[in-house]
Amino acid sequence: MRVAAAIALALVLASPVRALAHDIPNDVIVQAFLKPEGQRLRFLVRVPLMAMRDIEVPQRRPGFIDITRAEAALREAATVWIAQEVALYEEEVRLPVPELVAVRVSLPSDRSFQEYDTALAHITGASLTDDNELPWEQVFLDAWMEYPIASDESRFAINPGLRPLAQRVTIVMRLLTPDGRDRAFELHDDPGIVRLDPRWHQAAARFVRSGFGHILEGIDHLLFLLCLVIPVRRIRMLVMVVTSFTVAHSITLIASAYNVAPGGLWFPPLVETLIAASIVYMALENIVGANVVRRWLITFAFGLVHGFGFSFALRDSLQFAGSHLLTALLSFNLGVELGQLLVLAAVVPALNVMFRFIVAERMGTIILSAIVAHTAWHWLTERGGQLLQFPWPALDATLLLTVVRVAIGIVALAAVIWIVRLQVRRKAGVATRESGGFAPAETGRYAQEEGRP
Amino acid sequence: MARRHLLIGVTFVVAIGILAVAEVMLQQAVTAQEGGATVRAPRFEVDPLWPKPLPNHWLLGSTIGVWVDERDHIWIIHRSSATLDENEKGVELKTAECCAGAPPVLEFDAEGNLVQSWGGPGQGYEWPQSNHGIFVDHKGNVWIGGNGGGDSHILKFTRNGKFIAQYGKAGVHRGPTNAEGLSTYSGDSNDQQNFGRVAKIVVDPRDNEAYIADGYLNKRVAVLDADTGKMKRYWGAYGNKPDDKNLGPYNPDAQPAQQFRNPVHCADLSNDGLLYVCDRANDRIQVFRKDGTFVKEGFIAKRTLASGSVWDLAFSRDPQQRYLFVVDGMNQRVHVVLRDTLEVVASFGDGGRQPGQFYGVHSIAIDSKGNLYTTETWEGKRLQKFVYRGLDNVPRRPQGVVWPRT
Repeated sequence: MRVAAAIALALVLASPVRALAHDIPNDVIVQAFLKPEGQRLRFLVRVPLMAMRDIEVPQRRPGFIDITRAEAALREAATVWIAQEVALYEEEVRLPVPELVAVRVSLPSDRSFQEYDTALAHITGASLTDDNELPWEQVFLDAWMEYPIASDESRFAINPGLRPLAQRVTIVMRLLTPDGRDRAFELHDDPGIVRLDPRWHQAAARFVRSGFGHILEGIDHLLFLLCLVIPVRRIRMLVMVVTSFTVAHSITLIASAYNVAPGGLWFPPLVETLIAASIVYMALENIVGANVVRRWLITFAFGLVHGFGFSFALRDSLQFAGSHLLTALLSFNLGVELGQLLVLAAVVPALNVMFRFIVAERMGTIILSAIVAHTAWHWLTERGGQLLQFPWPALDATLLLTVVRVAIGIVALAAVIWIVRLQVRRKAGVATRESGGFAPAETGRYAQEEGRP
Repeated sequence: MARRHLLIGVTFVVAIGILAVAEVMLQQAVTAQEGGATVRAPRFEVDPLWPKPLPNHWLLGSTIGVWVDERDHIWIIHRSSATLDENEKGVELKTAECCAGAPPVLEFDAEGNLVQSWGGPGQGYEWPQSNHGIFVDHKGNVWIGGNGGGDSHILKFTRNGKFIAQYGKAGVHRGPTNAEGLSTYSGDSNDQQNFGRVAKIVVDPRDNEAYIADGYLNKRVAVLDADTGKMKRYWGAYGNKPDDKNLGPYNPDAQPAQQFRNPVHCADLSNDGLLYVCDRANDRIQVFRKDGTFVKEGFIAKRTLASGSVWDLAFSRDPQQRYLFVVDGMNQRVHVVLRDTLEVVASFGDGGRQPGQFYGVHSIAIDSKGNLYTTETWEGKRLQKFVYRGLDNVPRRPQGVVWPRT
């Protein structure tokens, strides 16, 4: 018996066909439209039929769908796999199971789901004729469902629940609102409840959480932060350094969201390499005992790089911002900031305790920084190796033009920073004079700015 | 102090001023440099990190077909172990831990992950001696041709590799055995049941008809009912009745041949219902209506001898399909051709084995985003992706390797 089973298994494995009919597919793309109209929410959805398992599809000959007899099976598939699984919410209240208005079979080449109007026309249009030789595993099931709603002005949310369709499920969905807006989403696997038109505070909350989670999961950002604070643990300096980092990464993060960043394939590896380089640099600076009073400045420069790094993480989730893109970006930054503060709240006292009771500050700084530098050096070589697969650009007028444009941006940014500093000092000077003290300007040296007591 | 601030402020203003002047001058220099020497055309960059490595120590053999399906999945067909050297297949020969030929049909997703693999001899059909060309039709079926000695048939499978149909029989028109003891075959471009080493197949979803580039032995385009395989019509160069007479080697200075030379290497349909045929060794594209009426022809790298310059083509993704991308396995480049005039406006690629270079670039296909995929035969044996970077000013002269840049 075992021998027979082994032979059978060997035959199956040796077969040229690797994918079996009722296997769970590796990868399925679901296309959908949601359109609230009056008291109805219209849901058009397209799913590969082969992903809907345990449905007896009528066949004209083995493997080929019998379209004229397929209606009942299609309705069952749409009900079991979609209508009962997809959870839609109106103003946070779950809508009932929808009415199934129409189902049909479509060719894999059909493009009507690129637009809502063509999708609707297609579902209501003429069915495929039965003289089509169609392998049932290769067709789409298109379904039109309708949910009763209180108002098309309501805010809707969806929990797709389509995870069982395949090992990887991608849902490409568009919401068409009564005011003519068209919002696109790409959801993966089991995204949970997705608010399709979030209020600003809902978007903000989501992105604060996202930023908070990202900084805590981003080990390279955390090591950079650690390097920053090992020698700088006084509150005032910490505030300056962390604020500088935050402002800088906010600038590039927001710039990326508005498509200002380069789109070349080399750019992500460059940013990742620079992030690793920033950690190595900070760690080495700690080891050699460089003067850290100007650390906020170099932090600012590296913060610009880290901002691009954050933008790569944020790119796919900006769809959840609804109409609150800027709010989402600022909230993400706020989340990052909160995460940083949490880390600092744990790390700074720990460093203080360590330097007081375990190891002398100088030696401790060197040891910790060396460990961090070692790790970051490995990242630097790995990421640099990937970057070096891309060639250096030719030294020509086009390259010089790019360099000059970048230089203009840097000088302009430096000018803005200088003006802001000037204004801050001026105000500080006024405040000091009003309180009867010396204005920093009158001392001839910016002792306070230099971080001296 | 105010003087110092003034100095710094003036420095900033002067620096920005100088840089702005430099920017204007450099912009003029760049414009002058490009003036006349550039043309507005699609620009591409090779993606050196695509596709991802194959599992199981698999290697590709000569890779002689590529297609992109409706899901932007990339399908290739290759000749696997039959075209691998002994030192490339240690696993198969049990001499080493690496490597082995991959199954002939491979499907990749847009990220370059291998999704599935299948193919090879099986029950109910005759797998080609030398498979050639792959196409996924509007019903999701996979079509395969073959240019081996006795390959005079076409195969159709489901997407998962289940056999559906075979049109034509293998081994027809067998001639005498040659000095090496191998069978010889003769072409019959008027045979309505069988084919002569089919190079490529496309299916027209509007009329459910398959267009066959037939081929390496025959000299015609044949049109079949895509469900039954029944031949509906066929024609030769200029729409003439095909003739299998040997035309001898191609001479670029002679009058254009009135028949195709072997191989008739591609047949592709445009959105406006024109059929573009690769007459590879004649260095030309011939354009027909669906009924076989000749429309026009255009020559590409006309002085190319031997295997010719027009190997395969793909249409750009704009609704008008303004450009053709023609792969040229002799000159090792992709020609960018205006579809309207069949004029070459740009080209990219060069000979070599690094990303962006070619060795026997054989087949080409395009995805919904306009990215190109090429496969290489002979010892090229690979699949490459060229990322579409939009319309841009590109050099009229050959661009060479299109490395990634901004």
